[in-house]
Amino acid sequence: MDELDLLKKDWNKKGNQTKLSAKDIYPMLHKKSSSIVKTLFYISIAELVFWTLINTIPLFTSPAYREQLDHVYTNKTILAGLTIVSYSIIALFIYLLYKSYKSIYVTDNAKKLMESILKTRKIIKYYVIYNLAAAFVAMVIGLYYGIKFNPEVSGKLEHATNGEAFIIYGFLIVFTLIFVLLLWLFYRLIYGLLLKRLNRNYKELKKLEV
Amino acid sequence: MNKELEHSFVELLEKHQNIVHKVCRLYTNNYDAHNDLFQEITIQLWKAYPKFRGDAKFSTWMYRVGLNTAITLYRKSKRTINTQDFEGVAFKIKTEDYDDTEEQQLKVLYKAVHQLNDIDKALVFLYLEDKDYREISETLGISEVNARVKMNRIKKKLKTILNP
Repeated sequence: MDELDLLKKDWNKKGNQTKLSAKDIYPMLHKKSSSIVKTLFYISIAELVFWTLINTIPLFTSPAYREQLDHVYTNKTILAGLTIVSYSIIALFIYLLYKSYKSIYVTDNAKKLMESILKTRKIIKYYVIYNLAAAFVAMVIGLYYGIKFNPEVSGKLEHATNGEAFIIYGFLIVFTLIFVLLLWLFYRLIYGLLLKRLNRNYKELKKLEV
Repeated sequence: MNKELEHSFVELLEKHQNIVHKVCRLYTNNYDAHNDLFQEITIQLWKAYPKFRGDAKFSTWMYRVGLNTAITLYRKSKRTINTQDFEGVAFKIKTEDYDDTEEQQLKVLYKAVHQLNDIDKALVFLYLEDKDYREISETLGISEVNARVKMNRIKKKLKTILNP
């Protein structure tokens, strides 16, 4: 007899060892789920809020920042256009995330379910990449104009030799890169831990297809 | 209306709870983890229940949601991870003197199945539950041929464990 058939015989013979009553089951319906979809949902909300705040708070709290913006974007239409574009992008991401969450069905087959979750995670990833890129560009532009329009700094830079200016710019670029790298590592850690099992199982399923 | 729905759901789950217990038995290795996973599967079943239409059998539907929760959705909480148990099992399989009695064989087999990866376990589970390859392939989202090939490989693997 096949090993598994031996197991099958025993498996079906074994009765119910644990039996819950309806009274035990009712409270379970109202407990909170701790599934990765739920966690992913909270993370994406946190991402949206975090990056929106990062981008808008200085606008309201720091007059210096506003002043700098006025310097950079002397043309009001450009500023308004950029604002509209950036909010449309946020709206687009919210829409994509919503659609993607709606397409996660626990009743799909295992592979399809994993793919829907991975797709959602990808949208969050793109949102983060977009924000990191935007933050990086804003930082570079901000630094450039900050130096240009700040008489103290630009004065100092004018007197600096080529070598010194090179060091200053180099330092700023390295600093920005380290900042971006740290954020990236942070994300790898969060999603790596959260989706470790899913990724492993998805790979295993994909392997069956080769 | 909601109460009615709740009532019908609990009644069905109570009747078919064995399926969920079996999934939990396969994917966890201690009491706390078993209950934790049972709870999560129940929540997922309940959330999906309004969309459950009578055209699928409730039990068939439970297999899918139960396995999906165990393989994909379930996030092990810290207190339920018990790696030591697992290593202990591996050690025992290697050192235990092989005994030809059926009971001993079964013991080793259960341990071996516990050591399979999540996907292999799902295949074995559906096989033990007497599901045909069409249903196995539909539940996991792989082709019928691949399900068959994989199952044969698992059988071979178990054979070598039993007859080293």
